[in-house]
Amino acid sequence: MTAEFGFESVDTLRVRDPKDVEEVVRAAIAGEQPLEIIGHGTKRLIGQPMATNAVLDVSALNAVTSYEPNELIITVQSGAPLADVQSLIDSKNQQFAFEPMDTSALLGVSGNGTIGGMIGAGLAGPRRIKAGGARDHLLGAHAVSGFGDSFKTGGRVVKNVTGYDLCKLLTGAWGTLAVMTEVTLKVMPKPESERTLVLAGLDDLTANRAMTAALGSPYDVSGAAHLPGSVFGSAAGALARLGEAGRAVTMLRLEGIAASVADRAGSLGNALAAFGAVEMLQDDASAAAWAEIRDAGPFAASGARGLWPVWRIVCPPASGGALGMALARESQGDVIYDWGGGLIWAALPPKPDAQAALVRARVDAAGGHAALIRASDEVRRSIDVFQPQPAGLAALSERIRNSFDPRTILNRGRMLRGPVT
Amino acid sequence: MAIMMPAADQAVLNRRDAIVAALRAIVPGEGVIDSAAEMLPYESDGLMAYRQPPMVVVLPDTTEQVSRVLKYCHAQGIKVVPRGSGTSLSGGALPLADGVLLGLGKFKRIREIDFDNRVVVTEPGVTNLAISQAVAHAGFYYAPDPSSQIACSIGGNVAENSGGVHCLKYGMTTNNVLGCELVLMSGEVLRIGGKAAENAGYDLMGIITGSEGLLGVITEITVRILQKPETARALMVGFAEVEAAGECVARIIGAGIIPGGMEMMDKPAIHAAEAFVHAGYPLDVEALLIIELDGPGVEVDELIKRVEAIAQGCGSTTCQISTSETERNLFWAGRKAAFPAVGRISPDYLCMDGTIPRGALPKALARIRDLSAKYDLRVANVFHAGDGNLHPLILYDANQPGEMERAEAFGADILRACVEFGGVLTGEHGVGIEKRDLMPEMFSEIDLNQQQRLKCAFDAQGLLNPGKVFPTLHRCAELGRMHVHGGKLAFPDLPRF
Repeated sequence: MTAEFGFESVDTLRVRDPKDVEEVVRAAIAGEQPLEIIGHGTKRLIGQPMATNAVLDVSALNAVTSYEPNELIITVQSGAPLADVQSLIDSKNQQFAFEPMDTSALLGVSGNGTIGGMIGAGLAGPRRIKAGGARDHLLGAHAVSGFGDSFKTGGRVVKNVTGYDLCKLLTGAWGTLAVMTEVTLKVMPKPESERTLVLAGLDDLTANRAMTAALGSPYDVSGAAHLPGSVFGSAAGALARLGEAGRAVTMLRLEGIAASVADRAGSLGNALAAFGAVEMLQDDASAAAWAEIRDAGPFAASGARGLWPVWRIVCPPASGGALGMALARESQGDVIYDWGGGLIWAALPPKPDAQAALVRARVDAAGGHAALIRASDEVRRSIDVFQPQPAGLAALSERIRNSFDPRTILNRGRMLRGPVT
Repeated sequence: MAIMMPAADQAVLNRRDAIVAALRAIVPGEGVIDSAAEMLPYESDGLMAYRQPPMVVVLPDTTEQVSRVLKYCHAQGIKVVPRGSGTSLSGGALPLADGVLLGLGKFKRIREIDFDNRVVVTEPGVTNLAISQAVAHAGFYYAPDPSSQIACSIGGNVAENSGGVHCLKYGMTTNNVLGCELVLMSGEVLRIGGKAAENAGYDLMGIITGSEGLLGVITEITVRILQKPETARALMVGFAEVEAAGECVARIIGAGIIPGGMEMMDKPAIHAAEAFVHAGYPLDVEALLIIELDGPGVEVDELIKRVEAIAQGCGSTTCQISTSETERNLFWAGRKAAFPAVGRISPDYLCMDGTIPRGALPKALARIRDLSAKYDLRVANVFHAGDGNLHPLILYDANQPGEMERAEAFGADILRACVEFGGVLTGEHGVGIEKRDLMPEMFSEIDLNQQQRLKCAFDAQGLLNPGKVFPTLHRCAELGRMHVHGGKLAFPDLPRF
């Protein structure tokens, strides 16, 4: 069986339909051979190096099953290219409101991956503070569990509480629970216009306060980021122009119909007057700057910080400034802030442990969690890539993983370091 | 009772006195209720057609007590049914004859208000509305607003993933909660998530929300709060045909407008509501839309114009636009009182809760009309039109032999139609016992087995709220068994690289 399947060398099995996925998983169970699940493979460098020796490639499951703009939903197979799906919904003036991150520049790979990868990674961009994350936009899924059985969860409507919401578990599970074959996603209208207020020269703590004030205002801020002056040495493109002479910039985005955006920009500018003069970025310039923030542009693999390990830290937003400042100072690294301080990207000078001890201690104390998104194979092999959990939660998570994949066939070891029992 | 609950365990019932004594040792004083008269208020929830006195009621007021009660019941093999305010419309808190009813009503304290992080940390027995009231002085509110928000508890909201009229724009409970303290059936206390936007590892908060009290007992919740929009105005638009109203809803969404709320009522619902609250609803229309726009004044004014034009383009016959808060509240008064209004024109009613794709509205309403004739029962429809969530109210008289059974059969047919039209069995009320036996209409045995396996990860003995959600209960060992399929590869032509 094993030999017939060709599992002895690293083999890539390109499935054509969900039935194929079932067959491959069942054969893998019988052959006790764990599988790496990929779409375009653009995020393979994220996670613990895996103990798998065959690849299940879903990229041929790439059909758009249905797109109903008036229902605000799209149903696509998991291997559909994200870029293609985004241009399709863009043609109807719609978007994924959570602004899925494009990890290619950060990781130094080409391509923006598939819909399945977008959900499996669950990496949301700046608008998460207003529109929620990937988990808030996955309405339904068909998937194959580690039992080799196709199951479905959720539905094709926005409002649904029928049964457990397994969609939430599949999002951000890095393919360790099931192989998604088709998903239904919520789409939202694109805003007619956008404008970004820029405050210059604030230190991290003051910027955190300014973002907190903006997010606590009624002006419906849809992006709140801060870039300390030190990162502009490595920034390129839209951001480089903002950070002239190494000054820090704090950015606050407003979106909506033009009259409303203009009105709110005036009000928000007044509310933030104590933080200094406000500059304004309009539509395209604003969009370009936020795309760079979304993708952690200043830490791109091709840039000056391209060889430094990069941590993604999620924490209570109002404590982000203090946390980021302490980390940058103690590690001699650089940080950028999104989500009003609730998301910190930290690029730290290379050390064998990617400065994990420091990062974990600081992040734990702030009530946050950290994942090492970019690091060499060797570094990722030697430390916990994802946040280690307290014993009770870790045990429950393992029981949950077991309930989907008791033989640990799917992406074995991607989220947890060490031997899997 | 049409729905069968798990058979009572006589061995447990025989030990009742000892169990009551053991619970009293954990929760002293009036926290344990065992007299039939005092347990009466707990024998049903908002699904009042179903009643069952519990074996005993326990009302702990600390996490430690909850943990010890669950640990004791776990060790003794005693079933437990958690309960918040008891407003569930699907029977999620229906007691079991051999079960402990665990009421969270004493968890009434808001623990922390953190405006900088825009969260409130609260105990589960606090009502939905009380959270908004506690932060209103700073201009904040908690967005999900189920109709029962004066009474329903935030713990119950998390259990049911409650919605409300504003969830089209602001999301359901699951989109507005960040963390919780959860006590497992074993008594183990876990902290999940917190003030950060996401929790680490698997999204446990996401799976607990909407799990209908089957996975654990929540003793603390962290919710997101939002700034109140500057202004809100509503349009009340009448149509001579339901189809035109449905088309109007589709065109508003198609124009990229997401209203704060978009509600529809059909003629019987309009008439019942108008007779009850005198909101000034037009009585000669077949469908009425209430569309609320919120945000800055300039935005609302602009969107009101756009929506009005869309409505006219769809052939609206009446259109009123609120010019004051009083008027806006009056528009809503009839819709918000629709259930009690229907209660006035019928001795009993059954409130259904299916979701359909918005575009299927005309055919769904036509089907409901046909079924109304077939079952010879009146029906009034209120509808969260923006997100496709139907609430048909089936009118019946429980004192007439056979009417309740007919009403239930009618309701089941409506929900089957929702699934047939591409929708789901429940949009916001939960499965509970009410829709439990319809689950196979939507899910295969494999789908349901995967869900039950997840339940096993939290509660391997199946002691927490059994008999709800799942039509057939399986033992965890049986569900976990792996059937290894050996043999030949079925796809020798599969491309390899």
